[in-house]
Amino acid sequence: MSIEVPSSVDEFIQGEKEPASSGVVVVLGFVSMLSFLILYGILFPGRDMPVISEVLPMFEGVFDSGIWFFLLGVIFGAFSIIATMLTEATSE
Amino acid sequence: MSEVIIMDVIISTLATFWLLLALSFVLIKRGLWIFNDVAKGLSMFMLEKALGPAIDFVSGRPGSSSSTWIIHGLVWAFASSTLTFMGLWLNHDPTALHSFESWGYHPDSSELIYAGRLTALFGAIGMSVVGASLYSLPRLCGTHLASESNATLVSLLWTLSVLLMFLGSQNAVIAGITILPIANLLLTLASTALAINLILTVSEATQEIPFPGWLIVYAFIGNIAAILAVFISGGFDEGVGQWLLFHLAGGTFFFCGVAGVSLYSVSVGSGNPLWSKSLVAFTLFGALITINPMGSTDPSMVVDLFSLTSNELEPSSRDVISGSFLMALSAIPIIAFSANMLVTMRGSDAFVENPDSPGIAELNLGAWMLIPIAIGSLFVQTDALGGVNELSGISQSLDLMAIWLVMMPLSLGAALNVLPRASGRHQLSANRSRWAFWMMSGGAFLGLLITLMSDFTDMALTESMAEQGSSINQELRKVGSVMFYGTVIGAIFHCTNTISGQYRGRIMGDISKASLSSIAIESYSLTGPTTIRKILASGATLDTEVSPSEQSEEKGSATEL
Repeated sequence: MSIEVPSSVDEFIQGEKEPASSGVVVVLGFVSMLSFLILYGILFPGRDMPVISEVLPMFEGVFDSGIWFFLLGVIFGAFSIIATMLTEATSE
Repeated sequence: MSEVIIMDVIISTLATFWLLLALSFVLIKRGLWIFNDVAKGLSMFMLEKALGPAIDFVSGRPGSSSSTWIIHGLVWAFASSTLTFMGLWLNHDPTALHSFESWGYHPDSSELIYAGRLTALFGAIGMSVVGASLYSLPRLCGTHLASESNATLVSLLWTLSVLLMFLGSQNAVIAGITILPIANLLLTLASTALAINLILTVSEATQEIPFPGWLIVYAFIGNIAAILAVFISGGFDEGVGQWLLFHLAGGTFFFCGVAGVSLYSVSVGSGNPLWSKSLVAFTLFGALITINPMGSTDPSMVVDLFSLTSNELEPSSRDVISGSFLMALSAIPIIAFSANMLVTMRGSDAFVENPDSPGIAELNLGAWMLIPIAIGSLFVQTDALGGVNELSGISQSLDLMAIWLVMMPLSLGAALNVLPRASGRHQLSANRSRWAFWMMSGGAFLGLLITLMSDFTDMALTESMAEQGSSINQELRKVGSVMFYGTVIGAIFHCTNTISGQYRGRIMGDISKASLSSIAIESYSLTGPTTIRKILASGATLDTEVSPSEQSEEKGSATEL
């Protein structure tokens, strides 16, 4: 006598815990992106990046000090604090 | 006659201050005779019912006010560390944020450091001390806080006043209104409500109040008494009087408050009884009788907050003698407090690795740094009071060191220790808490030490009348500001860790989910005599439970079925 096991449960299922290897996928994607950017520079030397090369000059004279690198971290931190407050307060 | 008043600014103001403190002590101990019940009822009415529907917006759950104040304090720690970092950076690169000028904002190093000091003192340190006090004082009195709801509501008023302080430090007058005195008015209102709340709590004490409790009480009363004393004696119009008010506020609200909550937390956190009752008594009386030397030599903060006329610090010879003597005398309460803290922590495993004792590492750092920074401050203040001003070049860095290496670790350590007890939940991650400690302490220590080195180089160059500044000096300031950035990151870690911990942190007393690393073992069965080395080699940590296995010396036999 065999027990029939349904092939699907017809419901959306999501794991509670994040698998450790998911971080590897994100890093892999990031490294691939950098590799393609470098490849673009090799294949089309001297040519500006599309879109990015048109946007970046808008910020000339604005972010021209090393402090902006650190302030970017501060902005990221401030948003992470606000996001933590919102998500923790609204999560079940 | 006026000359007599000028000559005796310090002594006459302190005499009034001590008289007010003695009067307040008698009133607390003896009450208001037949008016006791009326005064209590009226005060409770003012704290709760008189506020109308506003009081119903906040929770009156035990410990809720303490948690609210501490979380506000942590957010201000992030803001103040960011402002101080920006101020330190602009010290060597004044045009780094010139792009803000298109918005009409002209960031300046001294203004940003001033904003950092205001938000650190009143926002981060002040709110952490109040938060820890609201939890620890009722426990020391064996009672409950008189009004949790009012204390929670007042935290919003206090935060608003600190926000106005930040705005006022960047732009003194907005729409024709001077901002800083309004911020001070709101702060005074909040302080008065807190003082009434705590006095009502003390009046319901069911046991003799230990000395740390009195330190907390006098942190609030002493601050109000200091302000009254300077205005009664007329010293507010003198440079010396303004300087004295700055240091009396530092010695009462900040030093007494930090000492009170730290001594409570170090005993509760380490599980050891407070080492010496006499040393706490010395700390309390010494803090109120002497002049605390820590803080800036420039009393402009008092001038701005009270909207006074700024006057030069021109003390008479008697003021110099009495001021220097009373500052030197402050070594007694400072050493007594530091020694009591360090010895109380002895022998326990309560350190940064132990998640059940949060904040102990910060308390340890603050207690260690207190004496060297207080001695350094003593030299700088005596130099300024005497009009020599040879050490004025290091005054700002030493003031920042007192804030970030003494006051901030002690207040933050006490707050982190109290928070799980007040809210019922631990911080989310002991690992992130550990990182936050190392980032904050390492960033502040290295960053400010390197900035101090740069200050000394500047002083040497000025003394030798060198025509050009040294390039290494600018490099040192750059490295110092970058190092200080660690404090910003540490504050972010503390904020996110604490906020998440309020919702998902381990419940207090629940040891089943103790945070251990993946390689650590939770329990170790001791089957026979062994060495600690062997236990540690098996993967045990300081939190591993060692339990002896039951064994019998009787001869074995077949198992009965």
